[in-house]
Amino acid sequence: MTDPSVPTGIVITGLSHDYTPRAGTRVRALEDVSLTVATGSFHALLGPSGCGKSTLLYCIGGFLPVQTGSIRTDRGLVTDPGPDRGVVFQNFALFPWKTVLQNILYGIGKRGIRGAEARDRAQHFIDLVHLTGFEASFPGQLSGGMQQRAALARTLAAEPDILLMDEPFGALDAQTRRIMQEELLGIWRQTRQTVVFVTHDVAEAVYLSDAISVMSARPGRIRRTLSAGFNRAADPAVFKRPDFTEQVELIWQMVRAEVDDARRPAPA
Amino acid sequence: MRRGAVSYLPLLILAALWELVTRLGLVSRALLPPFSVVLVALAHMLADGSLLRNAVPSLLRGAAGLALAIVAGFGLGAGMALLPRFRAAFGPLVQAFYPLPKTALVPLVMVWFGLGDTAKIVLIFLGCLLPVILGTYNGIRGVDHVLVWSARSLGASRRDVLREVLLPAAMPQILIGLRTATAFAFLLMVASELIIANNGLGFLIGSLGDDGAYPAMFAAILTITALGFLADRGFAALSAHLLRWRT
Amino acid sequence: MIGRIALRCSAFLVLLAGWEAANRLGLIRPFLLPPLTAVAARLVADVASGAFFLNAAVTLYRTLAGFALACVIGIPLGILISRRKLVGWFVEPIVSVGFPMPAIAFLPIFMLWFGVFDLSKIVMTGFSAVFTVIAAADAGTRGVERQLTWSAQSLGATRAELFRDVMLPAAMPQILTGLQVALPLALIVEVASEMLMGGTGLGGMMVNAENYADSVGVYAGIVEIALVGGIAVALMARLRRHLLRWHPEAAG
Repeated sequence: MTDPSVPTGIVITGLSHDYTPRAGTRVRALEDVSLTVATGSFHALLGPSGCGKSTLLYCIGGFLPVQTGSIRTDRGLVTDPGPDRGVVFQNFALFPWKTVLQNILYGIGKRGIRGAEARDRAQHFIDLVHLTGFEASFPGQLSGGMQQRAALARTLAAEPDILLMDEPFGALDAQTRRIMQEELLGIWRQTRQTVVFVTHDVAEAVYLSDAISVMSARPGRIRRTLSAGFNRAADPAVFKRPDFTEQVELIWQMVRAEVDDARRPAPA
Repeated sequence: MRRGAVSYLPLLILAALWELVTRLGLVSRALLPPFSVVLVALAHMLADGSLLRNAVPSLLRGAAGLALAIVAGFGLGAGMALLPRFRAAFGPLVQAFYPLPKTALVPLVMVWFGLGDTAKIVLIFLGCLLPVILGTYNGIRGVDHVLVWSARSLGASRRDVLREVLLPAAMPQILIGLRTATAFAFLLMVASELIIANNGLGFLIGSLGDDGAYPAMFAAILTITALGFLADRGFAALSAHLLRWRT
Repeated sequence: MIGRIALRCSAFLVLLAGWEAANRLGLIRPFLLPPLTAVAARLVADVASGAFFLNAAVTLYRTLAGFALACVIGIPLGILISRRKLVGWFVEPIVSVGFPMPAIAFLPIFMLWFGVFDLSKIVMTGFSAVFTVIAAADAGTRGVERQLTWSAQSLGATRAELFRDVMLPAAMPQILTGLQVALPLALIVEVASEMLMGGTGLGGMMVNAENYADSVGVYAGIVEIALVGGIAVALMARLRRHLLRWHPEAAG
């Protein structure tokens, strides 16, 4: 193993983002977003669809340009995509022409690790996400849940400081989603990476996160950031605890208020 | 789709029907020589070397024009897909050239390059260029951007992305373009040789027809059909190999 | 915006300017590249005398007649291939041979069978287009979702209604894509046939010009054939938009 990954925080100040749809006028997706994600914490971005939470994540990833404001990690200002920030997308984004093993070896190879060491490391992460035995399968031959495990392993194997997850379980069925949530928490407790997790599922956010930022509908702003912390206790029954359901209900009310706000016609 | 040799049985039935209608006198032998007579003519042409003597120059012309078109077409298509300025400048030219039936260029390449090999290679090159450009362009433009983003966040440079992500992701479309280009290469090869040449399979078909040597003419036509089919099957096998990750 | 338009026209302008400059500076023999003005004058003369319209009409007539023949035979046959096992078994291997074949090689046979006038050329263009049409209709109907036919059947559609109301429209995008490939193919083969057999039509006119070493006529002929090709492509695109008004692609 080369340098062990160093958990780093993220400091976002005054970030705004505009885009122009193919046919139409400029839309403001993010407005004056300031947010600090603590080192080693699991931070959820929660909000109604179209609130710009994915846009915010893509800006952190360096895929969309920072137009106004700044994003800083411990490695400096974000300007480009980089292997310090690993991403897991909702639709997996596995290379369909590579096998599971080849997909996972790709990021490892980019770090300059080859040969037996690379294969050992890939195998470690394949085992970690319970894909042992499917190394030679192409993504098209796997179920959605297994594809997402492979995508997670590919990202983890590159040992990023920060893990960016864009509704990673949104395309999965309910049972698979629950299992994947549990496994993600299990893995995160070992790696202790900084995670930014985009979701519109309130219970998922409360279950997984240290902190939850609720975003408003377009233009996206951070409405409030709350702490949760149910994720620290390895208790699968946490869903039934009254303080858990209370927290979910509280945050659900906030998200709903945002949805209602967005529905109301804009003041003239 | 893999098919065994057995699935080509209907072609044999077709050949048997051909033999039958001519033997029974349902169709005049002057219009359609019996299949067996054509086979005998084919054997003669194989034996005296006239078939090989004409097939080799044809295939060389086709391969040269196609190879040039693949190299140039891939470069132009990738350039158009990746560089907006390049696209803005070349796009309209491609659009204007697209609806031109490429056989209209036969007299032009003759004006420029005479009646020899160069003219035919240039014609095949120009005819095959567009399918390759369009396949590459559409393929690269259609790549899901999250694949590019994934590679970049895993540490791939911009240069890596072209070779490691865009090229394989665009490969299905590129191969469709190449298949069309291969068919065009055969078509333009035969057309230009029929119109004017002093060797080649197209020339052979035309001169045998002019001489009234119909069994031999049918044999030559069957040969070029078989060659086109073999090229297409070979191409399909290559595609299946390159795209074995698709399920 | 003006910069964008200038950029879009730049390739043409460079091409035309280079053409004219090469002539004026005497860099190239006028036989290889006649002056732009001479080609333009020939185009005007062809339009004024009506020769362009006559030749274009003849070429278009034979192309469209052959193309129509290919559609009338190819579409039902393609659908049958995907619906009837026996038809598929027999016709599919024939199509897989016919699809990549250089159809123009059959022209001497059609001349032998149908003479040297319109009929042989129409059969030739139809023959060159039919395999593409069959393959497209086959692939189109094969790709129709089973749920679609099931729901129509459960709503009480008869076999004929299933074909007319479900299969044909569902396969239409693919069929039209096939036709959009087949029509230019038919035109390519028609032009080549005219060049081989001479006579009227734009291809015949061009080969005449070539024989008389009239390179101005060759260049004018390319422009005229390109115009006819452009019209054919535009007509097919319009037909597609009209037939696929319901399709999501129409909204784009």
